[in-house]
Amino acid sequence: MGHVAVVGIGQSRFGIRSDASLRELAFEAVKACLEDVGVQLAEVESMVVSVASDELSFALQPSAQVTDYIGFHPKPSFRVEAACASGSMAVRAGWMNVASGLADLVLVVGAEKMTEVPTPIATEVLGRAGDSLWEYPFGMTFPGYYALIAQAHMAKYGTTEAQLAAVAVKNHYYGALNPYAHMRKEITLEKALSSFVVASPLKLYDCCLISDGAAAILLASEKVAKRLRKNPIWLRGLGLGTGSLSLAHREDLTTLGASVEAARQAYDMAGVGPKEIDVAVVHDCFTIAEIVAYEDLGFCPKGEGGPLVEDRQTYIGGRIPVNVDGGLKSKGHPIGTTGVSMAVEITKQLRGEAETGRQVPNAEIGLSHNVGGNGQHAAVHVFGRDKE
Amino acid sequence: MSEAVYGAKCTACGAVSYPRHLVCPKCRGEAFQPAEIGGEGVVLTYTDVYALAIDYDVRYLRLAIVELDGGLRVTGQLLDEEPKLGKRVRTTVGVVRETAGKAIYGLQFVPA
Repeated sequence: MGHVAVVGIGQSRFGIRSDASLRELAFEAVKACLEDVGVQLAEVESMVVSVASDELSFALQPSAQVTDYIGFHPKPSFRVEAACASGSMAVRAGWMNVASGLADLVLVVGAEKMTEVPTPIATEVLGRAGDSLWEYPFGMTFPGYYALIAQAHMAKYGTTEAQLAAVAVKNHYYGALNPYAHMRKEITLEKALSSFVVASPLKLYDCCLISDGAAAILLASEKVAKRLRKNPIWLRGLGLGTGSLSLAHREDLTTLGASVEAARQAYDMAGVGPKEIDVAVVHDCFTIAEIVAYEDLGFCPKGEGGPLVEDRQTYIGGRIPVNVDGGLKSKGHPIGTTGVSMAVEITKQLRGEAETGRQVPNAEIGLSHNVGGNGQHAAVHVFGRDKE
Repeated sequence: MSEAVYGAKCTACGAVSYPRHLVCPKCRGEAFQPAEIGGEGVVLTYTDVYALAIDYDVRYLRLAIVELDGGLRVTGQLLDEEPKLGKRVRTTVGVVRETAGKAIYGLQFVPA
C-alpha cells in the first residue's frame, strides 16, 4: 500500500457558535484547510464527513448540508459515525480512500453543532452513546459512565481527586494559549476541586465542554503530496479497537480494552513504541479518561497515570507532552469534530507551527487517541515527519 | 411483586448472560433458556449522578455496577444510604424511570 500524507489542515474556532450553522462551521474549516495548502476544491476528488449526532443536528444525513454548502457535488462523499470517535473514523476512511488508490486527494471534514439544544437534552442524547437499552434507562449519563470508571481506578490504584484535577489544570493552561479553544482561561487546582459535583467523584472541571466547531484535513497520495508540499506530515499508523457495549461487561473497569488494542495496531503499523512519541493528544472527555489513556497507550505503567500528571510529566518538558492544545477539556469537544481536530493539532505540532508557549520543540512523531462512547470504539493514529 | 429481570442461560455450558447476546460470551453456544437474574453480590463501583438527563425529578441518582455471586456483572440503581465499594447487596426489581407516562422496570440493589 502507498503512503498517505496530511497536506492541508484547518479548523473553526470552537465554542458556543450561535453565529454559525453546522454547514457554516464546516465551511470555515474547509476554507482554512484548502488555503493552508493552496488547493482548489475542484482538485479534491472525494470527501468523508463526520457528524456524530442526527439528534443534535436536527437532520438525517447532515453531511449533505456540508457537501451542498461547500459546493462539492456531484463528487463522492459519505458520512461515518462512532459517537465521539467519529472524527477518527473519518480520518481512517480518508486514509483507506487514498491508500486503496480510489483517490489521490481526499478531504476529511468533522463538524458538530451541540449547543442548539438545552444541556439536559444534550445530556440525554450523549447518555445514549452507551448501552441505550440496558444501562441508559437507569438514568445513566455520560459523566456517570466515566464516574464509575473513576471510582474503580481510585479504589484499585489510589488515584486521587487532586490528580484528576491536575489534568484539568494542565489542559486549561494550554487551552488558554490556543486561539481556537472554547474556554481560554486557566484554572487553579482549588477551583477545580471546589466545583460542583456532576457525577461523583467527577466535578464540573473534570468534564469536557459541550461545544460547536469543525475541522478539516486534506489527505494525499505520495505522488500528489510531493507536488503540493515540500514537507508533508505522514499518517504512518492506524489502529481501531472495539469494546463491549455495556460498561458492566468489561473485565477490568480501569482500562479501555479498545484503546489498548488500537494502540497495539497503530504502534505495530508505524514501527514505533510509546517511548518514541514526542507529542500526543488523548481523549480527555473527562479527566479520568486522560489518566486511563496514559496507561492504555503505554506512556506509563498501569496505575501510574495519576502520579504522571501530578509530577507534571505530561507538560511540555516532561516525559510526554499530552493535550497541549487544551484537549477536549478546554479546547472543547464538538463530538464528531474531535478526531479530525486531533489530526489538525498533531500535524501542526510536527510542522512546528503551534502557537507560542504550546509548541513541543522538535516533535517528529505524534499520536492521536480518540474514544467513542465509553470505549465501544477507540482509534489511535501515529503521525510522523518521515514516512517510515 | 411479580416483576423479574431475565437473562439468557446457555444450554451448552450453563453460563448466564445479561442482556442476551446472539452467541454465548463463554462458549459461543447459540441456544438459550430464559434465566432470572438476581440474588446477592458485591458493589464493584458506584456514582451519584447529579447532572441528570430528562425524566428525573430527584436531586441525584445513585448508580452501580454489581458483580453477582457466580460472576455476572449488572448495572442498576443502588438504594443504599451508606454505599461502599465491595459492600454486599441484593437485587430487587423496581421502577427505574418513568418516561411519557410509562414505567420502566429494572434492577435495583439494596444492602444484603
